[in-house]
Amino acid sequence: MATKGEIYSKVSATLVEALNVDEGVIQPTSTLQGDLGAESIDFLDIVFRLEREFGIKIPRNELFPEAVFQGDPEFVQNGKVTVKGLEELKEKMPFADLSDFEKNPEVTDFSNLFTVDLITRYIEGKLRAEGKA
Amino acid sequence: MRLKDKVALVTGGSRGIGKAVAQGLAGEGAKVAIIYKGSKEAAEALAGEIISQGGQALALQADVADYNRAKAVVEEVEKALGPVDILVNNAGMIHDDLFVRLEPEQWNQVLQTNLGGTFNFCHAVAFSMLRRRAGRIINVSSVAADYVNPGQTNYSASKGAVNSFTRSLAVELASRGVTVNAVAPGFIETDMSAAVRNKAGDLIKKFIPMRRFGQPEDIAKVVLFLAGPDSSYITGQVITIDGGLSLGAASG
Repeated sequence: MATKGEIYSKVSATLVEALNVDEGVIQPTSTLQGDLGAESIDFLDIVFRLEREFGIKIPRNELFPEAVFQGDPEFVQNGKVTVKGLEELKEKMPFADLSDFEKNPEVTDFSNLFTVDLITRYIEGKLRAEGKA
Repeated sequence: MRLKDKVALVTGGSRGIGKAVAQGLAGEGAKVAIIYKGSKEAAEALAGEIISQGGQALALQADVADYNRAKAVVEEVEKALGPVDILVNNAGMIHDDLFVRLEPEQWNQVLQTNLGGTFNFCHAVAFSMLRRRAGRIINVSSVAADYVNPGQTNYSASKGAVNSFTRSLAVELASRGVTVNAVAPGFIETDMSAAVRNKAGDLIKKFIPMRRFGQPEDIAKVVLFLAGPDSSYITGQVITIDGGLSLGAASG
């Protein structure tokens, strides 16, 4: 049974390795791309390392969904995610905390949702579903 | 010994350019996996030669066009020698014919070997290289990618695609310290070019400013440079090694 704190430390250690950053710079609110410099290829590496570290399977497009808003032209209007788009997002990423994003859902800020905390919550949900957290 | 204890894998490594590359890599201290399709004896003899000189080598059979076999071979190499640091995609074939007479089979075979084989082995090593933040991939292309001859639509297309593939993969892997480059040999004295050299050797030499064919070692030296520490800031390049053939100068 892993606690949230234990999960966070492991996630943090995984990011240190995958992104080649110092542990000191990693905060729960750090964004992977903006703060930690992750590139597209790094997301693959992160997924691979998390699977191994936690002994789970992370299906493609589950933790880091691609092209979320491309399914329907009504998901985004004038650069902002619509109510319909936000519903889609909640369905695809139930583990994401959208409270800040919803206030001003600029689609260009979407990548800021991907934080260390988001990964931690995702993993926690996964482990709980398997009875390990 | 610029490549001491590095693990290198050379496809088509039993003869011609691949053999010279394998020997060169071993000479720099690398552990070498020699991949061969049909030349079992030559490959095993070469591995034996490297071992007798104090190096480490093994010979493994694979048709590079076979994706699953490529994966399996890379796994075998990793178990025996360690993760692959240097990949040299050298295996290639020609099956020349005038286009209107070219069979789809000739087209597919050449594309699947020259381009597909390069994809297969890159795919088998790339993720491990990017996770280790180090790696060297060198693809053996040809001047025929850009300076074409009649009867080689399949070969030219495959090598042109290898050049584009090299540049594109280089961009994807650059941030992770993996370089991807190609060498483009002109006329080199190997079994593969023997038929055309025998038929039109004197004529061809008139188009080579240096007036001679290249030796496999001429290519191997550049591959070694691209595999070693001195080329760490070079990626996505195709380096032509052809005695000046591609300069297009008429014989003087």
